[in-house]
Amino acid sequence: MVNITITPEDQNRKEKILEIHLQLFSILRDKLPPELKGQTKIQLVEGSTLKDLLIELAIDRRVAISVNDVQERDHSRTLADGDEVKIFTSVSGG
Amino acid sequence: MAHGYHGKILHVNLTAGEFAVEEPGEDFYRKYLGGSALALYYLLKDMPPGADPLEPENILVLALSVVTGASISGQSRLTAAAKSPLTGAIGDSQGGGFFPAELKNAGFDAVVVKGKSPKPVYLWIHDGEYELRDAAHIWGSITGVAEQTIREELGDKKIEVMQIGPAGENAVRFAGIFSNSNRANGRTGMGAVMGSKNLKAVAVRGKIRPSIADKTRLSTLAKWGAANLSDSDIAGLAKYGTNETTGANQNSGTLPTYNYNSGVFDGWEKIDGPTMYDTVLKGAAEGKQDREGRDTCYACTVRCKRVVEIQEGPYKVDPTYGGPEYETTSTFGSYCAIDDLAAICKANEICNQYGMDTISCGATISWAYEAFNEGKLTPEDTDGLDLSWGNAESMVKLTEKIARREGFGDLLAEGSERAAKSIGRGTEAYLITFKGQEAPAHMPRVKRSLAVIYAVNPFGADHQSHEHDPVIEDDFEYYEERLGALGFNARVETHALNREKMRFTVATQRLYSAMDSLNLCQFVYGSTWQLYGPDDIVELVQAVTGWEDFSYADIEKVGERRINMMRMFNAREGFDRRQDLIPEKLFKPLKGGASDGWKLDKDEVEGALDTYFELSGWDVKSGIPTPEKLEELGLAWIVK
Repeated sequence: MVNITITPEDQNRKEKILEIHLQLFSILRDKLPPELKGQTKIQLVEGSTLKDLLIELAIDRRVAISVNDVQERDHSRTLADGDEVKIFTSVSGG
Repeated sequence: MAHGYHGKILHVNLTAGEFAVEEPGEDFYRKYLGGSALALYYLLKDMPPGADPLEPENILVLALSVVTGASISGQSRLTAAAKSPLTGAIGDSQGGGFFPAELKNAGFDAVVVKGKSPKPVYLWIHDGEYELRDAAHIWGSITGVAEQTIREELGDKKIEVMQIGPAGENAVRFAGIFSNSNRANGRTGMGAVMGSKNLKAVAVRGKIRPSIADKTRLSTLAKWGAANLSDSDIAGLAKYGTNETTGANQNSGTLPTYNYNSGVFDGWEKIDGPTMYDTVLKGAAEGKQDREGRDTCYACTVRCKRVVEIQEGPYKVDPTYGGPEYETTSTFGSYCAIDDLAAICKANEICNQYGMDTISCGATISWAYEAFNEGKLTPEDTDGLDLSWGNAESMVKLTEKIARREGFGDLLAEGSERAAKSIGRGTEAYLITFKGQEAPAHMPRVKRSLAVIYAVNPFGADHQSHEHDPVIEDDFEYYEERLGALGFNARVETHALNREKMRFTVATQRLYSAMDSLNLCQFVYGSTWQLYGPDDIVELVQAVTGWEDFSYADIEKVGERRINMMRMFNAREGFDRRQDLIPEKLFKPLKGGASDGWKLDKDEVEGALDTYFELSGWDVKSGIPTPEKLEELGLAWIVK
């Protein structure tokens, strides 16, 4: 497990830690150590959003995201414990 | 003075062994730009309707565009066009590499091949000179051997060779034309046409480079692309090849599996781009795959082409023959429920050696797999091969049998539609063909405008003939600036097949149609996620040609003109809306994953087709361009 702790400005949200299942695709895999092959569990502070996650992972390119296998383009979405987050690059042809 | 092109078309009459050089003026190039539209001009003008695709009356055109050979990414591509022996309709195939730029350097913008040589020959074009040479000694050779032989006998290892393999000689109906032994003008059987003419290869070399109107503008555009590649949406394509999309397709339920019965494949991670990168790319064992395992086309910084080397195990693979694209890992992989990456790479190698389209070949094999698993084919039909889902060994054997037209392979070499008609027993229900051409690995039951494009596209199912649905749908990141430039300012509901989706379909079809006439790579240039957008294409054409008044309206017009020319070619051959059919399988629900239960609805599709024809300005009932539309596009000459 990779421990990435988001530190939100609101210190009151520190009490609870969420565990998120993360899978990164294509070159986004490079954000994690190679042996993880793009998959890991990460810990986030309760109240963290998809935007917080993208910032923490230093992903600033255009991406497509699914949460629990449902496409999600609202990056302000608050994540919940046990969520499965998949992040893709945007290429759609091929 | 012309910039970017020579203004010279080489005509070759193989029957008589005669040549002619035509020099059309600037108006001709501005009207057609090159590539597919230029090829269509000669097919419509010079080929009689009803020609047998494998007889001398068929015409094969190899065409470049006004920007081919310019020093910028994504331009070294070529159109091969003729009447298709697979579909009986227009055949059109695009391919890249180094040959296109070298043909331009050799002094010509296109080669129009007519007739049939009395014996095998190859065409040698160099610095404006041309000759036919005996090819008896390389007839029957696989691509790598023939290419090497030609280079040695002409004494120049920098010669580029475009050729057919034994499959083209054997008239496999989905044989392609190959350069560099690994770059395919794969689709619609153009290799079979070339083989029917006893033309083994075209070899080119030269130093006659057309001038560039504004080298500074071109250089600025090229440098911008190189500088922005790593931050662009095709950065993953560069590193992992087209196979980078396998995971995303799996997630969205759009990875065709079990011959298009499902959109998800349990073994997807064993055949995706990152796994290829980590395991089978040349140099992967030493961590050198970025240098040794990726290849490119002339002047392209993207380097998306795969180079596979496997030295151990049952499937050894020679890097000479490149590596599989996403389409190939899908058709030989998930279509057949095969997760053996080495076997897939072997099938790809066989296709590149023998000269076959990996999409139609793999999809034809997956048709046979479904028929076998449904009990409609038995080992007696298949020369004893066990075609159970996932059987990699049989898939590799069948690929070679098809190329050689041996036993059961002889039947499959006809393509799945003819094979199903021959076998009968209800096997037509397993077809995924449009106008007789097998569907590529993009799922119309989810990306639903593909259903319309696959159906109406004059050369059968094609995934590179418009922009796919997600870029304009609710769930996807929106490309506001580029889509706005195309006239789209709002998202469309996900999976919709409404009028706005059809407007998007028609608009992007025209753009992609024009790009097939400019011979531009559709990963480097395009509507949205590509490195360069529509405005950049205008900039490219202006910089290379000096046509300062060239605008996006001209791109739209050429794109529309080409589509109309193809529809008119087909109309002459008896095609109309009645052949714009969607296979029955796609009206049945997918099983499993995110696309579970998704299917097409016949009434909805028919309504979308009505809208498509209306927006195209064609007769809605027949799907044929109207005389008024042809007049508007400067194509009235086709019917006079």
